[in-house]
Amino acid sequence: MKRRSFLNWGTAGLVALWSAIGVSLGAVVRFLTPSVFYEPPQTFKIGDPADFSFGPPTFLAEEKIFVFRDREKGFAVASAVCTHLGCTVGYFQSDERFHCPCHGSVFSADGAVLHGPAPRPLEWFEVTLARDGQLRVDKDHAVPASYRLMV
Amino acid sequence: MDRRLPQFFFALSLIVLALMLAAVWQAGTPAWKNYQQEFHRLEAVGEPNAAAKSDVLNAALVIRQDLLPGLQRVDRCTTCHLGVEDPTMKNAPQPFAFHANLAPHVPAKFGCTVCHGGQGLATDKLNAHGRVPFWQEPLLPKEYIRASCGRCHKEGEVPGVPELTDGRRLFETQGCRGCHKLNGVGGTIGPDLTEEGAIRRFPQWLEQHFLDPNIVSRNSPMPNFHFTKEQARALTFYMLSLTSEQMGTYYSSVRLIPSAGYGRQLFVEKNCIACHNVGGVGSKSGPDLSGVTKQHSPGWLDEQLVNPQLIYPGSIMPAYDLETNARKAIITFMASATAEDAQSILSQRTRPLTPQDAAIEAGKQSFARFGCVGCHGLQLQGGVPNPNSQGGEVPSLLHASDDYTKEEVTKIIQNGKVPPVENPAKPAAPLYMPPWKGVLADEDINRIADYLWSLQKKKDAW
Amino acid sequence: MNPIRDAWQSIFRRDPLSTDKGKSELVFLNVWLHIHPAKVKKENLKVKHTFYLGFITFFLFLILVTTGVALMFYYRPHPPQAYQDMKDLQFVVYLGSFLRNMHRWAAHGMVICVFLHMCRVFYTGSYKRPRQFNWVIGVVLFLLTLGLSFTGYLLPWDQLAFWAITVGTNIGSYAPLVGGRIRELLLGGHTVGESALLRFYVLHVALLPALATLLTMVHFWRVRKDGGLSRPVWKLKEEKAAQLVSIGGPDTNGPLAAVPASKDKTYGLMEVVTGKPIFETVSMEEEEDAVFSYPYAFFREGVALLVTVATVMAVSIFWQAPLEELANPAKTPNPAKAPWYFLGLQELVSHSALLGGVVVPALAVLALIAIPYINLTPSRRLADRKWAIRAFTLFVVVNVVLIIVGTFFRGPGWAFVPPWVHIAGGE
Repeated sequence: MKRRSFLNWGTAGLVALWSAIGVSLGAVVRFLTPSVFYEPPQTFKIGDPADFSFGPPTFLAEEKIFVFRDREKGFAVASAVCTHLGCTVGYFQSDERFHCPCHGSVFSADGAVLHGPAPRPLEWFEVTLARDGQLRVDKDHAVPASYRLMV
Repeated sequence: MDRRLPQFFFALSLIVLALMLAAVWQAGTPAWKNYQQEFHRLEAVGEPNAAAKSDVLNAALVIRQDLLPGLQRVDRCTTCHLGVEDPTMKNAPQPFAFHANLAPHVPAKFGCTVCHGGQGLATDKLNAHGRVPFWQEPLLPKEYIRASCGRCHKEGEVPGVPELTDGRRLFETQGCRGCHKLNGVGGTIGPDLTEEGAIRRFPQWLEQHFLDPNIVSRNSPMPNFHFTKEQARALTFYMLSLTSEQMGTYYSSVRLIPSAGYGRQLFVEKNCIACHNVGGVGSKSGPDLSGVTKQHSPGWLDEQLVNPQLIYPGSIMPAYDLETNARKAIITFMASATAEDAQSILSQRTRPLTPQDAAIEAGKQSFARFGCVGCHGLQLQGGVPNPNSQGGEVPSLLHASDDYTKEEVTKIIQNGKVPPVENPAKPAAPLYMPPWKGVLADEDINRIADYLWSLQKKKDAW
Repeated sequence: MNPIRDAWQSIFRRDPLSTDKGKSELVFLNVWLHIHPAKVKKENLKVKHTFYLGFITFFLFLILVTTGVALMFYYRPHPPQAYQDMKDLQFVVYLGSFLRNMHRWAAHGMVICVFLHMCRVFYTGSYKRPRQFNWVIGVVLFLLTLGLSFTGYLLPWDQLAFWAITVGTNIGSYAPLVGGRIRELLLGGHTVGESALLRFYVLHVALLPALATLLTMVHFWRVRKDGGLSRPVWKLKEEKAAQLVSIGGPDTNGPLAAVPASKDKTYGLMEVVTGKPIFETVSMEEEEDAVFSYPYAFFREGVALLVTVATVMAVSIFWQAPLEELANPAKTPNPAKAPWYFLGLQELVSHSALLGGVVVPALAVLALIAIPYINLTPSRRLADRKWAIRAFTLFVVVNVVLIIVGTFFRGPGWAFVPPWVHIAGGE
C-alpha cells in the first residue's frame, strides 16, 4: 500500500470523523438546551379585558406584572421586576411611581429610571388579544413603553 | 499490514458520520412539528395582512406544556391540539378543533388528561393517546369522558352527569359493599374498589363486567345482577370516578360546584333564615333577599359575604369563612330563591323560628369569633385545665342559668372575672375571664348572653 | 523565531510523525497514549488473536460514561420524578431517547463483551505466568461490570426495574451471615424505595465507575509490565513455546542469554540493577516483528472504536430501550425476573435458594479467580490443556443455557413454559 494513498484514505477518514465530532458538539449543546421549562410559562392569559379596572394598575403577584388600562389608549403590561437586582417593585398611587424596596430605585409611570441604582427602565411586555377574547401576555417579547393594546 | 485498512477506516468514519446525522435528523423531525406547521398555515388563512401572515407562518415550533403541580401531572397535549381555546377553529379538522364549553376547566389550570385520560408527558400521537403497552390510563372514549367529572366533584350532583349520582345510588342500594370494600368499609370477597378509577380505566371492560361478570372475568364469583344498559353505564361512570386524587389547595377549594342546590344546602347550614327572609318568609331582622341578585353585582354580593361590615359598618351579619365556590353557590341560589324555598327551609327546621333567632345567631358567631370557644368550648362544655382555681378547670357554661341571672352574666362579660383561688399559698390560676367592655359593643354582649341562654341545660332537664 | 510556531511547539513537543523519533515520542510523551509501548508486536494486532475484545469493552465503558454524564443532566434519582424524567428523555429532550438507548445497549454490550474477553483470555492461555494476577483483576472488573449494570437497572424506576432489583437483592440476602446486612446496606431500608434508589444512583454514577476506572488503569498497566499482549499461541513452534516460558522464570537457574546490542536501535537505560527480569524476554528475530504503535496499532484501535460506536449508534436508532409502567410496590408482575445476566442465577435459586443462590455462584467466582493458580501445565497451546478447555467450556455453556432457560422458558409462577406455547389471559 503506497504511503500516499494510505494517507489519503486516512485523511479522508479523519475528515469524516472530525465532522462527526463537530456535529456531536452541536448536538451536545442542543441536548443541554431545555425544550420544556418546569416553571410558570412565559406566555399566559390573564383574563377578560372587562375584569380590569381603569386608573391605578392591577398587580398580579404570581406573574409579577402590572396591568394598566387607559380609557383612551387601552392596555399595557409592565414588569414588576426591578432591573437592578430583581426585587419586586410596588406602584404608589400617591406619586404615580414605582418604588423598589431593596435599594430605593424609583421608576416613573412609564418605567423610566428616576433615581436609584437601577441601570435600565422597567420592561414592558407584549399584550395581545387571544382568539377566545382573553388578554395574553408574552414575557418573551419586550415592547416599548408606548405600546398599547386597544380593546 | 492490512492493505484495505485505511479504506476500511474511511468507510467506518463515513458510517459513523451518517449515523450521527441520522440520529440528529430523527431527533429534529418529530411529528408534532409538522402538526404545528399545519396549524400555523390554518391560522395564516385567517390573518388579514401579509405581515401578520408571515409572523404566524414563521412562529417558533415549540413543545407546549401545562405544568400542573397541584394535579401532579404535566400535560403536553396542546403541542398538537393548538385550537382548543380558539373559537375560530370550530370547524378545523382534528387535532386543531376548538373545544366548546371548556371554561372554567382551562388547560392552563387543569390540563387535559385529568378528564380525557392519555399520557400527558408524551409528544407523539400514539403515546400521548396512551394506547400503548404499559400506560394504564388510555384516552377515554367520547361517551365516558363525563365520568371524569366525578374524579374531583365527589359530593352532590354534577350538572349534566346524572350517571354519577345514579351509579353511586346503585352501588349503595345493590349491596356492592357486601363483597367490595370502598374507602375502608365493605367485604373482602371481591377487590377493593377505592382506587378502581385509577387502576382500571377501561370503560368497555367495566361495562361488560356489569352486564355479565363472567364474560370478562372467567369464573368470577360475582353474580349477574342483570343490570340494564343504562344501569351498567351509570355504574361504570361511578367506577371511573373512584380515585383518591391528591390535589393542591386551589383544586380542593374550587372542587365544590357552585350550583344552586349547593347554595341552598349552605343557606340551611349557616342558618341564614335566622336573620333574613325571602319574599317575606323568614326572619325580619335582616333584609329580604328576593331579587337581590338583580339589585347588586355578583362582586358586590361576594364582598358582602366576605366582609359584611365593610359595606354596612353597623351590620350584625357575621363574616362567615366561606370558600370562593361556596360563596358563588349561595349567590347562585339567591338568583332563583323564592318564598316557597324559604317556606320549605322553615318547615325542615327542628324547632320553629323565633324573633330571637337573629340575635342568638349573631351571638353564636361572636362567641366563636372573639375566642370564647378557646376556653369555654364549642359546646360550652369548659374543661380546659386551670390549676389552682376552684374546680381546677374553666367552668362549663351550660348551667350558668342555675347560678346567675342573665344580667349578672352580661356584667361578667363586660367586667371580667378572676376565678377564686383553691390554695392561697400556691400561685394564682393562670386563666381568667377578661373584661370585654370597650372591645365588644353592649349589643354584642347582650346577644352573646342570648345565645348562652338559648343553650342552657336545667339540672333536671333530660 | 516564529512566535506562533513556538507556542504550538510548547504544547506539542514531539518531532514530526514522519520520523521514527516522532512516532515514538507520540506515544511516550503523550499522557493519553503512553500506556502503549512505542512498538507493538505485529502479530498481536491480528483481529483473530484477541478480536479486540478488551478494547471494545473499554470503548463501551467510555460510551457509557459519556452518555451517562449526559443523561445525568436530566435525571433525578428520586421516585416518582425518576420515572417522569425517563419519559421526558423519551419525549421532550433533544436526542434524549437516542442517548438513553445508547446507554442501555452499550451496557448490555459491555456485559457480553467482558464475558467474551474473559473467554478469549482463557482460551489463549493468556492468564498464565506472569499474568495471573491480571486475570484476577479482570474477574473483579467483570463483577464490577455486573454491579454497574445491576445498579443502573433500578434507575428508570419502572416495574421492570423495581421488581428485578427486588428479586436480585433478595437473592443476595441468602448469603449466610452477611446476606441480610448487605441487603440492608444496599437498600437503605427493608424494601426497595427512595433510599434504595439514591444509594443505587450513587453507586452507579460515582463509586462503581471510580473503582472500575482505577482497576482498569491497573489492568492496562499490568498488561504493559507483563510484556504486552500475549503471543498468539499457534504461531509458536513447539520448542519456542518451551523456551518462552522458562526464560526469566524465578524457578529456573539458567543463565540469561546474552544478546549483542543492535546498531540500529536506541536503547534507554532507566536504572542499572542486578537480578533477573520478571517478564518474558524475546529473541532478536521476534523483536524485528515489532512495528510502531503509530500508525499501526492506533489505526486499528480507531477502527475498533468506530465499529463499536457505529454498532451502538445503529442499534440505538432502531431499537428502543424498554420502559414499562411506573414502579408499583403493590403489584408484582408475574413472573418477576432479574436482569438477563442474573437470570441464570435466578434459575439456580428457583431450585435451591442457599445452594443455587449463594453456594454455587460463590464457588464459581472462587473457581474463576483460582484458574491461573491451578497450573497443570505451563503450556498455552490448546492441545496441551484439554481438560482446562473442557471445564471452562462447560462453565460457559451451562451459564448460557441457564440464562436462555430463565429468559425464554420460564413463565408465570416460574413454571416451565416453552416460548412457542401461547399463554392465554394474564395481566
